[in-house]
Amino acid sequence: MEKVQLETLTGVIDKKMNRQLKQYIDICARCAICKDACHQYVGTGDFKYLPARRAELIRQIYKKYFDKAGRFVPALYEAREPDDNLLDELYDSTYACTGCRRCMYYCPFSIDTAWILSVAKAILIAAGRGNEMLGQLADAAIFKGDNAAMFEGVMLSGFDDISEEVRAITGNPEHKVHVNKEGADVLYVALAGAHSIRPAAVIFEEAGENWTISMFEAANYGFFYGDTEKARIITKRYIDEAKRLGVKEIVVPECGHAYRVAEFFYEAWSKEPMPFKVSHILEKVDDYIKSGRIKVDRGKIAGKVTYHDPCQLGRNGGKFEQPRDIVKAVTSNFVDLTPNRAEQWCCGGGGGIVAMEEFKDVRLKSGIKKVEQLKASGASVLACPCENCRLQIEELNDVHGLGLEIWQVIDLVVAAMPLPGSQRSVEAAPAGEGANA
Amino acid sequence: METYLWITSVWGVYLALAVFIVGIGLRIYQWATTPKSAVRLGMFPKPATKSGRFFKMLKDTFIAPHSAKIEPTMWLFSMIFHVAALAAFVGHLRILGEYPILPGLLGGEHAMNNFAAYAGSIAGTLMLVGVVFWIARRTFGPYKNLSVPEDYLLLALLFGVIIMGDHLRFVYGGFIHADTYQEWFKSLLAFKPMFPEKLLSGNVGWSLGTHMLFTDLLLMYFPFSKLVHTIGSFAANYVRSE
Ligand code: HEM
Ligand code: SF4
Ligand code: SF4
Repeated sequence: MEKVQLETLTGVIDKKMNRQLKQYIDICARCAICKDACHQYVGTGDFKYLPARRAELIRQIYKKYFDKAGRFVPALYEAREPDDNLLDELYDSTYACTGCRRCMYYCPFSIDTAWILSVAKAILIAAGRGNEMLGQLADAAIFKGDNAAMFEGVMLSGFDDISEEVRAITGNPEHKVHVNKEGADVLYVALAGAHSIRPAAVIFEEAGENWTISMFEAANYGFFYGDTEKARIITKRYIDEAKRLGVKEIVVPECGHAYRVAEFFYEAWSKEPMPFKVSHILEKVDDYIKSGRIKVDRGKIAGKVTYHDPCQLGRNGGKFEQPRDIVKAVTSNFVDLTPNRAEQWCCGGGGGIVAMEEFKDVRLKSGIKKVEQLKASGASVLACPCENCRLQIEELNDVHGLGLEIWQVIDLVVAAMPLPGSQRSVEAAPAGEGANA
Repeated sequence: METYLWITSVWGVYLALAVFIVGIGLRIYQWATTPKSAVRLGMFPKPATKSGRFFKMLKDTFIAPHSAKIEPTMWLFSMIFHVAALAAFVGHLRILGEYPILPGLLGGEHAMNNFAAYAGSIAGTLMLVGVVFWIARRTFGPYKNLSVPEDYLLLALLFGVIIMGDHLRFVYGGFIHADTYQEWFKSLLAFKPMFPEKLLSGNVGWSLGTHMLFTDLLLMYFPFSKLVHTIGSFAANYVRSE
């Protein structure tokens, strides 16, 4: 490997190094307890997807250039330089990882393999091997933000159309999607696509919330790509908007990584404290239901309903109960998946993998655990508050003929609300429509 | 044999302890001086209070309940090994000095030696079982693929330490007790090394020397190996709940 490139790559490790990473690299016992935690390893049996193996590649580089013992006797640690072979395997195992952190949950030392792989992504990007699709999607989002004025007209007319639909559902001529409303309490940062806005608007309006819609999207391909600077810029857009409008709270939509980025990553990236609260929309909805601000009828949803915890919302975001409470409020026929909550299987669609065609095979194979869980539950309706999860499970649904109806949770809520036009929103495509991928 | 004992059980011990202490010190210094990750890496569920998180860390580290759920067999053998290793460690403290109350409770020195023989035999056997399981596990499939020479080296050293410890226990345990080893080990600590006559007569010296040879090597390699998980696991498991 050429000296210059080598220095670039080792420089990345140096820059990214922190205490946790160092400990993870130093202490892994290679006990492989993590192996059966990973849906990709379980689904494919392919060694490169064994979590500790993915991290091992970073360890090999680290041992070779940073660790005294590794430099002294490289053979003992299989320390090696980041040559093409290593980088090829690293690319596959890193961009395939959905960041679900199920491996971390079961590891005796709680080693965060996905976090180690964030260094891998930085190395790959520095080596010119970042995933092209994710990179393009990140750049497109940044371009769109830079040229917000150019897109404003289209967006405003889109919001007008959605306002029409909202009024048709609620029957209230006053209801609409609020735009650029200074002094609003809540800034709702949606995903691209009416499906992410319409039901939320119905709920906010019915609850009498003082809210406004963001001109930006919550999805963050900079995060999936592994470039924290891009990810920061994409997030900063709506953070600045929230500051400008003076809101008290940012509400992120039914999207796993958007919540994690806003609640757990942005402050670290931007090195500034956030002057407002971050909530997931289902926290708000749960609160509206429990406090009686919106009404839902049990019994309007037919069939046995189950719920999938998106990894970034559940295990990595801590929102286990609110979504379940909502689902249980709209149906008396609820069944949980086994295992659930912190032990929930990753569906296989996280980390941006649904946008990367090259990983389709491993993605579908890795869904086998989810398919088994869904079959065993006997449910006919699945509520799932994450776009990427829904896209994946929709596809598993087709491939395995599960015959499931897959819903956003807020669509279920609107369908269960005693509103004149709520049936409309039921008919509107429950998932995947206008996907941000 | 006396030369062998002097190399492995005097100078070797001094060297090994020095390397171990400096090495561990350096490792901790490196960890402590590397800045913490700015991103909170915790996962859920996590206790709301600091003390709750602290106790969860202890539980996660000592009991590893999640690992037990996903790989019960591995968990069981690892538990067997680690608990037995802890017991063996506690037993070895006898070479620093007799336990204060225990011999009295058991009914005298003879009974104490008998108890030590039983406890040591059990711990030594269980450690062997654990290590043999680990070695066997690394000979096939994904476990083999994941293993690097470091893993085998550690297991070989460990196997050596245990086999020779068990050898001392089962072959010489009937007539050489802690008091004899104590004389030798305390002389080391006083920097006036010597060997009691009992250790120089017969072949026990070869066994002790080999037990110490493996121990010296293991101790010296310890700070540069994944065995630093003994310390690091607490920190890493704490991060889980942060
Ligand atoms: C305190 C918390 C500790 C935890 C949670 C822990 C956990 C583990 C785990 C999961 C393994 C993997 C087994 C494998 O290699 O397949 C392991 C290996 C090992 N541990 Fe620990 N350990 C702890 C403390 C210790 C201590 C105090 C010692 C000191 C003797 C120790 C010595 C070893 C050894 C020698 C191995 C074998 C490594 C190998 O398989 O090559 N551990 N430990
Ligand atoms: S479970 Fe943890 S310690 Fe064991 S191999 Fe996996 S990452 Fe390493
Ligand atoms: S984070 Fe999830 S996908 Fe990635 S290695 Fe761990 S278990 Fe596998």
